[in-house]
Amino acid sequence: MGITRDFGDKVKTRVLFGVDLEIRRGEFTSLIGASGSGKSTLLNIIGALDRPTEGKVIIDGTDLGTLDDDGLALFRNQTMGFIFQSHFLLPQFTVLENVMIPYLIYAGRATPTVKKRALDLLERVGLSHRRDYRANAISGGEQQRAAIARALINQPRMILADEPTGNLDTSNTENVFAMLREINQEFKTSFIMVTHDRVLAERTDRLLIMRDGQIVEDICHI
Amino acid sequence: MRKNSIRFEFSLASRFLTENRMQTFLIILGIAIGVSVMVFLSALIDGLQANLIEKTVGRSPHIVISSDENAAAEAVKSLNGNPVLVLDATRKTMRPMVEWRNITAGLTADQRIKTALPVVEGSGLIERGQISRAILLKGFDLNQADRIYNLTGSLVAGSPNLPDGAVLIGKDLAADLGVSVGEPITLELSGRDSLPVVVDGIFDLGVSAINQRWMVMDQRRAAALLGMGDRVNTIEVQVHDVLQADALAAEWSQRLPGLAVESWQESNASLLAGLRSQSSSSYTIQFFVMLAVILGVASVLAISAVQKSKQIGILKAMGIRTGSVSRVFMIQGLVLGTLGTLSGLGLGLLMSKAFIVLAKQDYTLLLKPMTTAIIVLSTIVAAVLAAYLPARQVSQIDPIEVIRNN
Repeated sequence: MGITRDFGDKVKTRVLFGVDLEIRRGEFTSLIGASGSGKSTLLNIIGALDRPTEGKVIIDGTDLGTLDDDGLALFRNQTMGFIFQSHFLLPQFTVLENVMIPYLIYAGRATPTVKKRALDLLERVGLSHRRDYRANAISGGEQQRAAIARALINQPRMILADEPTGNLDTSNTENVFAMLREINQEFKTSFIMVTHDRVLAERTDRLLIMRDGQIVEDICHI
Repeated sequence: MRKNSIRFEFSLASRFLTENRMQTFLIILGIAIGVSVMVFLSALIDGLQANLIEKTVGRSPHIVISSDENAAAEAVKSLNGNPVLVLDATRKTMRPMVEWRNITAGLTADQRIKTALPVVEGSGLIERGQISRAILLKGFDLNQADRIYNLTGSLVAGSPNLPDGAVLIGKDLAADLGVSVGEPITLELSGRDSLPVVVDGIFDLGVSAINQRWMVMDQRRAAALLGMGDRVNTIEVQVHDVLQADALAAEWSQRLPGLAVESWQESNASLLAGLRSQSSSSYTIQFFVMLAVILGVASVLAISAVQKSKQIGILKAMGIRTGSVSRVFMIQGLVLGTLGTLSGLGLGLLMSKAFIVLAKQDYTLLLKPMTTAIIVLSTIVAAVLAAYLPARQVSQIDPIEVIRNN
């Protein structure tokens, strides 16, 4: 609500100008706009990676402004799933271990339940046969699918995807988008996806268009 | 939750370390070499010093108690043809002690003191045929003196079962005089008639000054010969902890006013100064070795921090706490430090063994448990501290920067 974000200490650059946005549970929202329109900044603020200069972010009744840095870290871990343009898997770990990392950060050790969930997720993204491969030994499309499975391991209420298909070819893009849609419908997970792909954006529930740090269009497809 | 996080921090640290095996191996080797040098150096220096101290004070008194006044000696001189009695105050002989029994009993009761030996001393001459030699006549209880000098164990001639009133002389003195056990010699003491004595044993205490000059007999017999009555010249003391001898001497000096209490440290001040400067040069070397270890660990982890910044960024996005990230790098410092230190300890022991075998020195290396523990612990602590700066730097990574710059 009323989110403003300035960057810079001496010369302030305002990137977001009082953005008001409400996301409903289970909604698949896409966010498009030119480079520098503020969409990634908005996504980072919603994702508790960044704090607004002014305004409040309230997710499921929690005002993120009341949390300290460790609190935000825990909140991200438990509530948010992240999918980035680049997969950012840890090359020191296997595909299966990578999927479980958001859980392991706080739990230390995987319970049988979590391991089964990870295996189910790998099955769902079609990577069961790659589970014991090192993360850097699989193809780019496979890595992005592993990153999707990783985003889901803690059963987040919201997944933030920053150009998840940006580095993928058409067939992989289709594949990954279908997968996100499926997850959205099955688990009622809210999605906010930043994309450059207008066609893809048109296929989501809600399309937000940003320009110069403001949401200029809010198109509902349902 | 924190305990569980640490499990993940350890697993992340170990993956980071095993990922670049060569880098990890090299820094562990670097630490190991540093630690082995420290271990070897301190074993060498400590061994050398212990050997020097043992040689200096092993078979000699650690504290000598004597009167602090010169005895006035009487002598008859002739002045213009007439004999006159004069007092010679320049003589170095000390006034004898009367209260020696009480003092000896008090010293013996002190738990820190190993043995206290009342000694009667006087100088004289031994003659045999045309040869005469100046000697120092030492009179003490032979059994008790064995605890300091191990005389009966050092006999090179004569039966170890010495009769009462036995007379022993040093090896070099015996050689000079050409005398062997059972043969008579003539003892000349000032103000006395020549006295024939039979040599009962010849000893070798390993110190030429003693082997050349000492004649040893029972305290009472020596006192009678020297006209001392029931008095002694000095009380020789050995203590359990040689390095504490000076402190103990100072303490006893307070309790024995009018007596001089001198520790071996006072009589060997230059040796101690030498040992001290040896120690400080050893500490200086160890300090710089430690500095090199710290810089090595810090630089390796600083490089690793840069290499891993992308992964740290994504872990932070996924909710790892800043403190956790710091700990991942501190743990790497701990692991590198521990592995390096332990292998360095092994390497240092090997070097010490090799040195003993190869260098064939007449002293052994001394690895003190305390010194070793200090080296091991301080290196590990140093490695962890060295990790602090890289850890701090890497924990401040902003995940947004990493994501944005891809």
